[in-house]
Amino acid sequence: MKKFNLEGIYPALVTPFKNDTDIDEKLLRHLVNFVIEEGVTGVVPCGTTGEFVYMSREERKKTVEIVIDEVEGRVPVIAGTGASSTLETIELTRHAEKAGADAVLVVSPYYLRPADKGDFQHFYELTQATTIPIVLYNIPQCTGSFLSREVVEDLAQIGNIVGLKDSSGHLPYMLELLQTIGDKINIVCGHDEVVLPALAAGAKGAILASANVIPDIWVKLYEAAKKGNMQKAKELQMNAQKLARIFVRHGGAVPVKAALKMRGLDMGKTRRPLASGGVLTLEVKEEMRMELEKLGKTKPMQINAVFELSEALEERFKDLGIISQDIKRFKLATAEASAGEGIEKTHISLLSGPKSSPVGYGWAKAVANPEPGCEALTAIVEPNLAVKPITLIVPAVKIESMRQASIIYGPVQSAVGKAIADAVEEKIIPEEAVETFAVIVKVFVHPAVVTRRLLYMNTYDGVKLALLKAFGLWRKRK
Amino acid sequence: MTQKKKFWPRGVIPALVTPFTKKYEIDEKALRRLVDFVVENGVTSVVPCGTTGEFSSMTIEERKRIVEITIDQVNGKIPVIAGTGDAGTKAAIEFTKHADDVGADAALVVSPFYLKPTDKEIFEHYKKVAEAVDLPIILYNIPQVTGIEIPWWVVEALAEIDNVVGIKDSSGNMPYMMALFEKVFGKISIICGHDEIAMAALAAGADGLILASANLIPDIWLQIYNLVKKGNFEEAQALQRKIQTLVRIVTRQGGGLAVKAGLNMMGLEIGTPRRPLITGGIFRYEDEDLMRLHLEWLGKLKKKPLQLEFKPKVVVKSEFSGAIPQTPSRISDFSLKVGEAFASPGTADVAHIDLLLGLMDGPVGKVIEDTLANPRDGHEPVLVKFEGREVKPKTLLTPTVTVRSEQQAELVYVYAMSGVGKAIADSINDGLLPKDALDELVMIANVFVHPTASNPKRVNINNYKAMRFAIRRAIEARPTQEEILERKASARHPFRYEP
Repeated sequence: MKKFNLEGIYPALVTPFKNDTDIDEKLLRHLVNFVIEEGVTGVVPCGTTGEFVYMSREERKKTVEIVIDEVEGRVPVIAGTGASSTLETIELTRHAEKAGADAVLVVSPYYLRPADKGDFQHFYELTQATTIPIVLYNIPQCTGSFLSREVVEDLAQIGNIVGLKDSSGHLPYMLELLQTIGDKINIVCGHDEVVLPALAAGAKGAILASANVIPDIWVKLYEAAKKGNMQKAKELQMNAQKLARIFVRHGGAVPVKAALKMRGLDMGKTRRPLASGGVLTLEVKEEMRMELEKLGKTKPMQINAVFELSEALEERFKDLGIISQDIKRFKLATAEASAGEGIEKTHISLLSGPKSSPVGYGWAKAVANPEPGCEALTAIVEPNLAVKPITLIVPAVKIESMRQASIIYGPVQSAVGKAIADAVEEKIIPEEAVETFAVIVKVFVHPAVVTRRLLYMNTYDGVKLALLKAFGLWRKRK
Repeated sequence: MTQKKKFWPRGVIPALVTPFTKKYEIDEKALRRLVDFVVENGVTSVVPCGTTGEFSSMTIEERKRIVEITIDQVNGKIPVIAGTGDAGTKAAIEFTKHADDVGADAALVVSPFYLKPTDKEIFEHYKKVAEAVDLPIILYNIPQVTGIEIPWWVVEALAEIDNVVGIKDSSGNMPYMMALFEKVFGKISIICGHDEIAMAALAAGADGLILASANLIPDIWLQIYNLVKKGNFEEAQALQRKIQTLVRIVTRQGGGLAVKAGLNMMGLEIGTPRRPLITGGIFRYEDEDLMRLHLEWLGKLKKKPLQLEFKPKVVVKSEFSGAIPQTPSRISDFSLKVGEAFASPGTADVAHIDLLLGLMDGPVGKVIEDTLANPRDGHEPVLVKFEGREVKPKTLLTPTVTVRSEQQAELVYVYAMSGVGKAIADSINDGLLPKDALDELVMIANVFVHPTASNPKRVNINNYKAMRFAIRRAIEARPTQEEILERKASARHPFRYEP
């Protein structure tokens, strides 16, 4: 009796909107073709990622119709037809059936939560009112409750219920389902971060937000897992892990649409209240761009980061009003050092002297009158824990994105802070300098730096080394 | 109210913190000092070894000793309710028996925790403890800590036991407490243990309060208690609102940890908690500073004379109402003082200020002049105005983030600036910026407003707080080198890690 075999990789398609009142048909058709060409098993319009909750019934129906029309029988279409109310769910499901969908994906009732009995009745009445194959949909992050295993067990007895999509990411729940009704209906994974373990445990496929953006990776992973090549599957999951984490935890449709745009598939904006800069911060958005670059899904941004080391160390603080003569006259401590390799390499130019010397003036000037893109910030180990001697970090490369800014205001800032604090404890910085000196650190960091952990370590090492040199020489001169 | 019970807990009862020495031994002298402090303030009873008292970080012997010291110091003036709960029934019985033997008036027994028993097992746990002693027993529901709630139907049954005399509910779950009133009101005493809803609980019929913050402000809690008992709800509400921020910090940001920090600010020398509790974790550094402001506003901090030595022998005197023991009495070297401060809440609406403080004729003053003469696009510096007038000390405000939109400009130059301005005005009023020094001092505030910030009110308040904290840190030279060394290893910069 079960006539639809739920398996493989399905993107939960985003819905491109033209404006507040319409669907952008052209873009939607374009997206459908893109994912099919990338090899997906089928498509799901009007899922959670498709922002179904922000669409009118008419819009939802129209979206399903367009997708079915564009797919033209090439792959199965599973229409998202769930709604908070049973009546609306039946109406949308009937429509999908008539329009020619292969199956429907029906989210459990949300907002008002009817408990087990109400959940059962909701789906039961739907099965009585329609004949299309139904995929149950558990997503407690949105609905507020799990679709209980006992209810699923009973529903699985009904002929037209063919599967369940579990987006909870809760593996004990999924394994409970696989063990109790895995032989009756197909379970698919809806949580991008746990696709590999889900497939390994017996899930038959996945319906994913990120399959809009990187369908090929998921298809490869699915095939590798199916063949039992778990090593290969693991590698693929790990490659996609950070991206998957961002999609899942930073707003679903928001990062997916932003990522598609980065890939050259502008699907427009999400509907209000979702907006970029909220659940998806600008910093994280830039991280996503880096990940896409790493996976070869976007062209690398043009980065002009050549650090001019031709200038003598004493000349590098001119912009702060400190010239080489000052450094000589006031016997200021200076040094440069670098640490690390490749894109994570950092270079440090360090200057220190009494607060009453030109260092104090330069320090204050950089804070009061920052150069756009090279805004200075104080060294702290974390916010509300500034270090002594007072230390200022001045980026040597112009900051052009929020991601770059968060790299400086993050690993670099805390590494400089920690290096200073440790250097005081280790007496690299003389005790008499702690309250009376000021330090300025010019930091070169490559704008495309990827690994924060390495950057932190390299910056720390670079500053530590520069301090050793600078105060070693300074002591000698004294 | 039917009162067949032999002891009826009521009134305002502090859940005493346990003072430790620098070596984390029990500090008996400090404990006796604390007991005297709250007794003199008129509290109805005291609870040693409660949750706030860090009972879970102490040995069996230590817990017993603390109960003994407390009973000895109280010397019969008020009842002592010993905290005697434990995860296991056997241990709970042992502590309760000991409390009975050494003369406690009642025992506060927390529900089993860590391993989570069901209602049947909770019932039997309490039944066995109650049967083992004659001592009056108070049940204690605190699901935030134990992970379980004592079901009201279990309380209903336990209330039938002779020596079960009350329940302390610290859940803050008002519907739960209302069920207790419905089922056991008048049968056993119902005590509120959640500082944020204490007044509401009293108004609903609670018999008393066992509170962490009653270590800090026993007098205010007694006023609230008495006002409610007299039916004067309006005044009681006003008082609760007045202390709400302070008690929110206590309940949500660290309990005993926060209470100890506050008592230390008040000069009670109570020491710090045992590990794993450390300042900077759940009790954030900004909470510590905010708590200080609120204790100051409630008049709980001692005024301290302050001398600012601008140049050798040029000294300005003042009196600082926000002084804490760490506040130096003489402050010198005004060449370049720096204060950094971050304030939340809000994701995009946080404030982060780098503050420079110095003298008009020093490097800070010179930089202000030079900056105003050569302003940079996107980082236009302005002299801070508050209520339409330029503030003194002369203060330059520079945005950290390049200003690119009108909304950003409005948030920085209107909302953040008025917060900064008010912080300066309040710092003059509290005596930290002496009136006689306003023409000589100058400040530069580099103000961070996130480009996606959108909540003007929050930007304003967060910048007020950050500026208040930054001025204090600059003048008091905090964090001190000692604090930095102590705190640097566990520091966690929020943006150090990848998403």
